[in-house]
Amino acid sequence: MTTLTIEAGAPRGAACLSPPGAIARIARREFRDAAASRWFLLYTIGFAVLAIGVSFMSLAGSGSHGLAGFGRTAAGMLNLVMLVVPLMALTAGAGAIAGERERGTLLYILAQPVSRTEVILGKYLGLGLALCCSVWLGFGLSAGVVAWRAGGADVDAFLLLVLFTCALALAMLSVGVLISVMSRRVGIATGLGLFVWIALVFLSDLGLMAGTLIFKLRVQEVFAIGVANPLQAFKMSVIVAMNASLDVLGPVGVYASRQFGGSLAWILSGVLGAWIVTPLAAAIVLFSRRAPA
Amino acid sequence: MINAERVVKKFGRVAAVDGVSFSIEPGSALALWGSNGAGKTTLIRSLLGVIRFRGKITVDGIDVRRRGKLARSRIGYVPQELAFHDDARLASSMAFFASLRRAEPGAASAALEKVGLAGHERKRVRDLSGGMKQRLALAIALLADPPIIVLDEPTSNLDAAGRGDVVETLRKLKASGKTLIFASHRPDEVISLGDRVLVLEKGRLVSDTSPAELWPTEKAVQTLRLDLGGADEEAAAEILRGAGHAVHLNGRGLCVSVSRERRGVPLSVLASRSIEVRNFEILDDVRREADGSGPKQALTAHGSVR
Amino acid sequence: MTRSTLITASLTLFACNAALLSAAEPRSTGEIAAMIDAATEHSTIRVPAGVYHGRLSVQKAVRLEGGGEVVIDGGGTGNVVELLAPGIEFRGFTVRGSGSRVEMEPAAIFAGVGPVVIEDCRIDDALFGIDLRQASGSTVRGNFVMGRDLDPGRSGDGVRLWWSHDCLIENNTVVNSRDMVFWYSRNLRIVGNRVSGSRYGLHFMYSHDTLVEDNILTRNSVGAYLMYSQGITVRRNSMTRNRGASGYGIGLKDCDDILIESNAFLANRVGVYIDNSPSSTESWGLFVQNTFAFNEIGLLATPNTHDNVFTSNAFIENEEQAGVHGRGALSLNTFARDGVGNFWSDYNGFDRTGDGVGDMPYEPRSLFENLLASEPNLRFFLHSPAQQAVEFTARALPELRPQPKLIDPHPLVRPPKIVAPAAEEPSEGRLAILAISLALVGVASLTAWRLGRDPAPIRRERNRR
Repeated sequence: MTTLTIEAGAPRGAACLSPPGAIARIARREFRDAAASRWFLLYTIGFAVLAIGVSFMSLAGSGSHGLAGFGRTAAGMLNLVMLVVPLMALTAGAGAIAGERERGTLLYILAQPVSRTEVILGKYLGLGLALCCSVWLGFGLSAGVVAWRAGGADVDAFLLLVLFTCALALAMLSVGVLISVMSRRVGIATGLGLFVWIALVFLSDLGLMAGTLIFKLRVQEVFAIGVANPLQAFKMSVIVAMNASLDVLGPVGVYASRQFGGSLAWILSGVLGAWIVTPLAAAIVLFSRRAPA
Repeated sequence: MINAERVVKKFGRVAAVDGVSFSIEPGSALALWGSNGAGKTTLIRSLLGVIRFRGKITVDGIDVRRRGKLARSRIGYVPQELAFHDDARLASSMAFFASLRRAEPGAASAALEKVGLAGHERKRVRDLSGGMKQRLALAIALLADPPIIVLDEPTSNLDAAGRGDVVETLRKLKASGKTLIFASHRPDEVISLGDRVLVLEKGRLVSDTSPAELWPTEKAVQTLRLDLGGADEEAAAEILRGAGHAVHLNGRGLCVSVSRERRGVPLSVLASRSIEVRNFEILDDVRREADGSGPKQALTAHGSVR
Repeated sequence: MTRSTLITASLTLFACNAALLSAAEPRSTGEIAAMIDAATEHSTIRVPAGVYHGRLSVQKAVRLEGGGEVVIDGGGTGNVVELLAPGIEFRGFTVRGSGSRVEMEPAAIFAGVGPVVIEDCRIDDALFGIDLRQASGSTVRGNFVMGRDLDPGRSGDGVRLWWSHDCLIENNTVVNSRDMVFWYSRNLRIVGNRVSGSRYGLHFMYSHDTLVEDNILTRNSVGAYLMYSQGITVRRNSMTRNRGASGYGIGLKDCDDILIESNAFLANRVGVYIDNSPSSTESWGLFVQNTFAFNEIGLLATPNTHDNVFTSNAFIENEEQAGVHGRGALSLNTFARDGVGNFWSDYNGFDRTGDGVGDMPYEPRSLFENLLASEPNLRFFLHSPAQQAVEFTARALPELRPQPKLIDPHPLVRPPKIVAPAAEEPSEGRLAILAISLALVGVASLTAWRLGRDPAPIRRERNRR
């Protein structure tokens, strides 16, 4: 029997949505749920408050002298972003599938005329957009503080900072979703997410620091290992965007700037891109093989 | 309408569904009968294509394993208990599923109307009673007017009035030409709705028959609610199941279905294992003209039946 | 800000004139030479507007006026204009097209004797801009030098003085050049110049007893590099965003008796770099009322650095306030004079007496910075949370706490005011950043509002009800 005759015989309205249509609808739903949830509100407010605080602190003392305070604000924000955004994205991602699995709602949504890939992509996009909104809000408010207190700023660098922050959020969300797909319970998923957060934010860098000190790693080794960490790739991307050179980062940065020159920005973006695509792809593959409940 | 061939689903080394085959004609109603763990739910999930299984199921000619999305667009699914985002309002939940199922504009309120939930759009899902949730699930299943409705023990969490409502709605749906598949362990529901019964035991199809054949001689099947005075109800339920009774537990006690003539049997079974039944209550009668004395021994092994 | 507006305006004027002139009939510099021959000493020659091709050698003390409408185009060989008699004034010309062989050091305007006045000239497309050799007593004022688009190391100097004492270098602007450099020249006054996009904004080689005031040095490799020079006063200059290969606001190499006062060192890689200055124990270095803010390192010194005095300076939010190039401490220098120390933005003491001086000394101890000193590759981890983790650990475990790098016994609790001229106009970016602020908040809110509503079908239902 061919599909055509089936669909001709089916009652009206019973044909299913195109994949983009289904993804868009699930994403929208996910966005709404995220935006209305308490954790999200808390994170957004927290991020905004911290961002404004950093802008204030970074600008203190420059007074009316008209130093474009942004370079400094960005540097302060870099630290803030590297702490808060991965935490936000990892925990949001970790809850995405595991939460629904635990509440039994996953089965129900999968019983609808949608495919698993559509469900996971829809949830990913919805959460991703919610995270991006949170980031935009935080940065937007802090840009307001910069405009009010300091005046000038490097607009291009600021926009790139926002862009890379969104990329970082999406990458960490991707890892979070992968964790979520692997976990049976939200508690486990969140725990794993926190562990990955600590590992990426602190442990891997501290380990590499120790390695650098003990084994006297060469610059290319430090760079090669360091750049694999999405947080370092993010940090370097922002510094390249603001400074056009990594010399701020000492010999390793000088090496990277010299060795890769103009393609450095692309390499760093590529690393971030890989961190977005790979875990998400793995999550999709894994999700299609796992029982929903 | 639905065709299942040698469906096998294993969890680890345990087969939850083991070589089940059946088919359903359009417009008919099929009941899945069996105790907890017999494989009813697994079979339904296989049918929906939400779990992986061996064998083949087609819905309206569509292979659910390969084109699950299209197959699911033919099926409205009502779970045992509606698990949905509790904070969502009825209206927005309905709107979401309506858009997901490509329902016509207006289908949402029509469906709510059909299940008697019109006027509750602003309520949140968590504020609904069990019966209302179940009717909401039914309303969602009816969006986009699918030809098949699949229900997994739709009444198990409801009180008598709620059950009556749901059964009545289903009867109407069947009359309007829908194909129904429902899991149940309540003989009264099976008798009043089902054209056929698949009897499952430990994942195997032991009988493909009609309710009349399954309970040929009974005048009525009754449900007793037993008050064990705080004794271990799980253990008691296991004992009764072991003695071949259909049992389920809910928040109000232990319910066992039994024919009118053998009402005393569960009590004596429990008494023989030193579990005291402090009180019992007869919940309802199934008004059905039949004769004979008790349920036929349904647990004789049959081969799988096409 | 007014100054920059002026410069912008005059630039526009230059550009317009050049455009007008290029249409005019080409003329030869021989015409100007003939006018000079015909003129008497110390007379004023108003050169008619136009583009003059060829080189020009002036050997009589005359006052040449271009009025901003004269272009002299050397056509790409050697020096374009040579001023070879004392008392020449050369004013209001656009000069371009010098040679390009570095070893010949071809300049747009060359003065081989002093005093001369070079004023209000614009220099384009020349390897060297203004080159004074043994031209003492000269004035170079209000010129604009745009360097060739070359790697700064391979290009020529925007302004160069060689054995030219007692000169005034004032209100010149140099862009994309190598250095504004002073060789063996004493008693100069270098005031109100702007240098950007170059290697060293100001570069002193064996040039003593000089005043450097009110200059703005931005986006060079080094704002001002003082080498082997003595008795230089550097006051009210702004060194901003000098972050090239070296990246110093000011570098001091083997310099003695240097007064650095009321300057602003902002957002450089290193605010002030001190390499063996003062070079002897008899001489001194004094830093008063400077602001070191937002640099990667506020103050960086080689380990042997000694006898510098820092008082009333403000160290604000530098990634590393003060550091040593290599292992060691800054303990041979003094961070307070007469009970007045410096302001440190990371000082967390308090001032109970209310005299503006903190009650506890400022003693920065950073484990991470110490680690950096021994393993520079660790700088890779700057700006990352791991850096904070290291500092936190050091604070929690006293045995890991390093010795302080410096001690300021009388830290100030309020920073002194910045009096140096502003390098960048704040108003420019303000609207843009404000717009971005609104845009980001707007997009976020709009997205939330658009997607947060109920999808269409059910709403229609509700409205009908």
